[in-house]
Formats: sequence, structure tokens, C-alpha cells
Amino acid sequence: MGELRIAAQSLKMSVRSRMQYRVDALVATIAVFVRESANIIVIYLALLKFDVINGWNVNELLFLFSILFLTYAIVVSLFADLRDFSRMIREGRFDRLLVRPRGLLFQLILNNADVIASLGHGLLGILLFVLSAGRVGIQWNLVTILYYTGAIIGGVLIQGGIFIFFSALSFYFVETGSIRSIFYWNMRKFAGYPISIYNRLIQTILIYVVPFAFVNYFPAQYLLRKPDMANYNEAYIYIAPFVGVGVYLAAYLFWRVSVRRYYSTGN
Amino acid sequence: METIIAVEGIRKYYKVAKRDRGMRAAIGQLFNRKYEVKKAVDDISFMIGRGEIVGFIGPNGAGKSTTIKMLSGILYPDAGSVEIDGFVPYKQRKQYVKNIGVVFGQKSQLNWDLPLIESFELMKFIYKIPQEQYEENLKLFSELLDMEPFLRQPVRQLSLGQRMRGDIVAALLHSPELVFLDEPTIGLDVVAKEKIREFIRYMNKTRKTTIIFTTHDMQDIEKVCDRLIIIDKGKKIYDGSIDEIKNKYTNFKTIEILLENGGKETETFDIRVTPMNSVLQKLFAEKHIKDISICEPEIDGIIRDIYEGRLLLDSPAMEGTGV
Amino acid sequence: MRAYVEIAVKKFQDKMAYRLDFFMGIVNTAITIVVYLCIYRALYGNSVEVDGITYQMVATNFVITLGLSNAFGYNEMFLQDKVRDGSITNELLKPVSFIFRLLAENVGEGAFKLIFHFLPALLFTMVHTRLCPPQSALHLLIMFGSVVLGYLILWLLSFIIQTWSFWLFSVWGIITIKNVLVNILAGTLLPLWFMPAALRRLISYTPFEAIYFTPVRIYLGELSGAQLLLGVAVQVIWIAVLGVTANVFWKKGVKKLVVQGG
Repeated sequence: MGELRIAAQSLKMSVRSRMQYRVDALVATIAVFVRESANIIVIYLALLKFDVINGWNVNELLFLFSILFLTYAIVVSLFADLRDFSRMIREGRFDRLLVRPRGLLFQLILNNADVIASLGHGLLGILLFVLSAGRVGIQWNLVTILYYTGAIIGGVLIQGGIFIFFSALSFYFVETGSIRSIFYWNMRKFAGYPISIYNRLIQTILIYVVPFAFVNYFPAQYLLRKPDMANYNEAYIYIAPFVGVGVYLAAYLFWRVSVRRYYSTGN
Repeated sequence: METIIAVEGIRKYYKVAKRDRGMRAAIGQLFNRKYEVKKAVDDISFMIGRGEIVGFIGPNGAGKSTTIKMLSGILYPDAGSVEIDGFVPYKQRKQYVKNIGVVFGQKSQLNWDLPLIESFELMKFIYKIPQEQYEENLKLFSELLDMEPFLRQPVRQLSLGQRMRGDIVAALLHSPELVFLDEPTIGLDVVAKEKIREFIRYMNKTRKTTIIFTTHDMQDIEKVCDRLIIIDKGKKIYDGSIDEIKNKYTNFKTIEILLENGGKETETFDIRVTPMNSVLQKLFAEKHIKDISICEPEIDGIIRDIYEGRLLLDSPAMEGTGV
Repeated sequence: MRAYVEIAVKKFQDKMAYRLDFFMGIVNTAITIVVYLCIYRALYGNSVEVDGITYQMVATNFVITLGLSNAFGYNEMFLQDKVRDGSITNELLKPVSFIFRLLAENVGEGAFKLIFHFLPALLFTMVHTRLCPPQSALHLLIMFGSVVLGYLILWLLSFIIQTWSFWLFSVWGIITIKNVLVNILAGTLLPLWFMPAALRRLISYTPFEAIYFTPVRIYLGELSGAQLLLGVAVQVIWIAVLGVTANVFWKKGVKKLVVQGG
């Protein structure tokens, strides 16, 4: 119960502090929306010229992308402090959490919501979903809706787990920006395309290392059944919603081990 | 007096990467990095009793903050032990921190864009403060610190002194028995400093709160503390009362002279080494003096002299004083 | 001049202090190249050329563009941070021109990324992908000059927007939108060859075409003789226009700062 009230108060504070600068908040939300749309616009322009990419048409690609945006919108409303964790360490703000009688990850997860990013990504995700979901031949029924919901939750857990994992790396390295930019930001961008277009190395990373393939590609395959699914084990489609739980737990254990290092070195 | 803090031989060494100048060194350190060991805290021990107010002073980088971090459970010592109120801070973090309050003077925990009251509400939930106690403390603290006029203003619009008062309240709302204040008066004006000192004294008197604080301002120490611990280069070099340190230096006198030609000179000396008689004789013989005054050294000056190595706490001059 | 070279060299060395970032930067650039080449390959499918443009040309365009955009990546919020915390006034008191000091720092950082991130990644790419050779040694040489001009256009665009922090609460949003425009309209992701004709014509009236696309076309020999001179002239004109604009905004901003005390 106490935890819920802290969460509610923190969320209220995040929203209200962003709303202090209304014009800026509006401009920033639009900027995020436009920035994220850039990839979509490029794909749209590219497919005007090339029609399909490995058998996927423009609507199917938009659907694939929409899952990334929707999950990320939830991820940043929960995990924003973990996304920016290396800065928190550098500025010494992590010390504050250590002198409060609450779990560290709990405080990090609920402390701060990036309202702007959440809105920007969320609106774009909803827009893409609305534009594509009806045009890609999905039969929306109880089973598919349940599967889709599970996949979204799994996708949030996968990305939250990745953020926790990278945050834990900050206990070992001063600067983790470049690792995060490769293994989170870039991989996320690459996951917007069907992974079957990539070479073996990139596919392996996206399936087994930073499993973005389970955030959008395999869930989308359950609903779309494109021929390139033949390259992968059919089971991947069905375990997709559960991969998140595994990734999250693994990341949590790694965090537990790593946070001890902070006590011995400080920042 | 019941002991609340027992610190025994704590050490904290850091490895610091060495950066040499020049392009060749820059390329070299990509592959082979050299480290230096910095002894932030080097074998410090002390005991503090329940209800004491203890001031920690020392020059920048002396190890004050590192010591506070070890006491508050943020760092664990490389060697030695810390026991506070039956807890080992870095081992039983969650249990231990329920009963302490920490203010980092240079790092606010208040939400920058919102009124103070919002950050206080969050503390209420985090520390599970009963509503009654919360209201009572908030009312009392804001009266004592004159905070009512700005409780509902966004923190970014507050002066540094107002913000610091907010930070102190946020750290004390849950009525901790032990409070660490890391430079709570840094950069504040005289009025704000005085408010904070009064408040610290009040909390100590009425609630028997044990208070440890670090500062650079000797006034803080003189007006608030019973006891002073001086740390320099990672070592404890003094631990005792303010009066004691003053007494130690009563043998030191400072002479200020105004010369006939308008020049001013000052000289500090130890009367056990050079008695007043010989100093004055020498001065009168050598200079044309218009005015002369003899003063006791200020505590500020003493501390400065200790840091700068001009006074040694165990200097031969101190022999026979019983310290 | 010496002072600015020193500033650039200093920044270059600073970047080397972060070991992990250093090695990861190489990996990042290499992966980015591999991924985009995969995407282009998949778009081409079985076709050899589309509109007379081969996969190899697209790959070459991407690699050159990436090198330049890599060199351009630096903290574009620098001026805003300085204005917000008031330290801009200290900067103005220093005996070096702030504009050139900033340029020197950014160039130092860019040189670092080019040499240590881009070059290794380029060599790695050339092992597995055949890129187009330059039209001639002369074209290659002129391309290098044109790349410098392209960098200056990008830098001035960024600086102009940065100067708006004298008036606006935050320029982050505008900078982000500018970067989106650059990414799309300068052909960072999709080469300008494949843009719809109307959009392509529109772009040719903006500075965006002169950033990456002019150097690429010089390298490939698409621009030669009089066309080549025209291309470079257009770059120079844009630099002049943007340079004057930047100077006006900067002067007005500083004046506002001095008059109103921030």
C-alpha cells in the first residue's frame, strides 16, 4: 500500500513539474513525436520507390514499428531514472536513494516518469496502430487480443530489464553511454525492420543478446504470418510474451550483484 | 552517556586514474592505465554519545564527506568497523536509515519545479510518517525556520538559504534520532546561517537528537557544537571540546602594531618559547611604534594555522600543558 | 589561430580519456554501417539498379554521409547550458572569439570521431563490401574540400539555432526538429536519388542538399566540370548566407545579455 502511494505522489510530481513550463512541454512533445516519425517517413518514402522490403509492405512495417513505440511509451513512464542512471551516479544523486528506507530499484522505477517522451512515443504508437492494424489482415478476437496484450507487457519487461542491466553496468564503468547507444538505441532502431533482412550477427544480437525480436518481430509474426518466419523456430512466437519475465529477472539478479560495488567505490 | 556511534579504525582508499599531459600519454592510457591510491580516510576512530552535537571540520578533500558517507551507510569501509545504534549501517541499510536523517548541503533532494510541500508529502509516504506526527513536525519546523511565507512557492524561486531550510526539514520530518548534515550552511548569508544554527540547537535540546555536521565555518562550530573533530589528509588530528582547543592556544599571542609611518605589522608567537618581555623589548628597540595591541588568537585563525602546518597539535611548544 | 588549434587538440585528447566509449564507438559505427547496408540490400532485393542507381552507389553514399554526420555529433545544448547557468558571461570575457572557440572544440571532437570511430569502421566495411571507387584522384581531392564546406553548413545551422537560447526557454525541441529535417532532407537515411521528384526539387533550394549530397556526387563523378563548380559555389553561398545570419543572431543575443544582464 505504502508503495502505491509513493508511486502516485511521484507520478503526480513528475507530471506537475513538467507542466510548469507549458509551452516548452508542448514543443518538446511535438519534437519527440517528429523525431520518432523521421524513421517512419523515411520508410514510407523508401517504399514509395521499392514497394516491399523482404515481403513486408508499408502497412506491415508500420504495425511492426507501432509495437516499439507503444512499449517504449510505457517503459519511459516507469524506467526513466534507469534510462538516465549513469548521469544520476555521476551527479551523486544515487546517494540520496541509499539513505531512504526503501528498495533501491523500487525508488528508481517509480521516482520519475518522462512524461514528454511517454506522450510523444505513445501518440505516435497509437497513430501507427490505428493506421495499420485494420489493413494488415489481422483477425482481432479474444485470443489475438490476449496475445497482443501479453506481448506488450513482455516487451515492456524486456526493455525495462535492459535498462536495469545497463544501469548496473554504471557501477563498473564511468561512461556507459556508448554501450547503451549500441545495444539499446541502435538495436531498437534496427528492430523497426523485419529482422530477417539482417546478417547472421545482427539477427543473433536481436534474438539472443538484446532480445528486441521478442518485443515486436515475433509477436507481429503471430498476427501477420509472413513467409520469412520460416527462418525461425515456430516456438519463438509462443514464448515471446514470457521472454520479458526471464530478461527482467536476469537483469534484476545482475543488479543485485553489481550494486554492492557502489558501496565499496562510491562515485 | 550512552554511546550511539562507535567507529573503530575505518579506512577508505580510492584508486584514481592518472592522466598525463600530451598526445602520446593520451594514446598510451587507452591501453595501459596508471592508477594512484588516494587515502581518503586513513584509520579514524571515535565514539559519539546519544544527544551530542559534533562538528567535523577539515580542509577540502580531508575526508569529511567520505567519513559521513561511511556513517550513513552509503559506503563501506575498506577496514575497520562502524556500529551505530546497534546497526552496521552498510549491512542493514533499510532498517538503519529509518532512524537517520541526512542533508547533503550541495545536493538538494527537493523537486526543483514544485512547492516545498510536494517534496515533504513524498517524504511522508517514503518514511511512513503518521499523519499526526507529519503535521505536527511540519508546523513546528516551519515556525522555527520561518518557512510559512515560502512553503507554497516553487523551489527554483527560493533563495539558497530558503532552499537549504527546506532540505533540512525534508530530512527531519520523520523525527530521526541521528542526523547528518554535510555542509548545511555552505554559501548562506549570516541570517540564514543563524536560523539554521538555532534550529539545530533546538532539535538537540528538546528532542535529544544526535547531530553530526561538517562545515567550513568556525562560527557554526563555536555556536552549535559541544565537541569538535578535525580531520586532515584522512586522519583525525583533533577530537575534543572547543574550549580545550582554545586553551591549548592561550599560550599563543598575536601582536598588532601600528608604526609611526602608518605601516601595520602583526606577529604571532608562543610565550613559552619567547616570553612577552623579550618580544616587546625587541620590537621597541627596532621600530617606531605608534600603537600596539595584544590579542588572543581567534579559533578561526587557530584552525587555519593547523591546516597550513604552522601549528602542530603535538608541537614541542605544547609539552607540559597536559594535553 | 594557434589558440584555436590548441583548443581543438585539447578536446581531441579529452575524448580519449574514456576508454570504453572509445572502443565502443568503433563497434557502434561498424554495426550501423552493416545494418544499413542490409536494409539497402533488402530494398534492392533482386534488382541490379533502380532509376540508374546501383546498390554500390547507395552503399557509398551511406558510408560517406555517415562519416560526415559522425564527425558532426557533439553537444548542441552547449550554448543553452552556458546561457542558463550564466557562465556565458565568463566566456565572453576570454580573449578568444567564442564562435571560433566553439567551432574549434567541435572540430576537435569531430576529428576524434572521424579518425578513431569512422576510419576503422570504414576499413572493416571495405573488407566485406565493395564500394564505388572515386571518379578520379582530383574528384577525391575536391570531395574532401566539399566535405569541409558541408560540415560548415551543418555547423552554422546548428549554431544559429543555438543562439536562440538567448531568447527562448529551451532550444532542445527546435534542435531536435532541425536534426530530423537534416536526417530526411539531406539524405542521411534515404539517398536523395530516391526522393519523389517534387520533394527533390524543393530540397535543391535549401542548404540540405549541399551538406552531404554534393560531396557524394563529386566523389562518384555525377558532378563534373561546370556542374562541379556550381555545386561547390552553392555550398560557398550557403556558408556566406548562414554565416551572416549566425553573426546577426549572435551579436543581438550578446547585446540582449549585456543590456538585460541575462
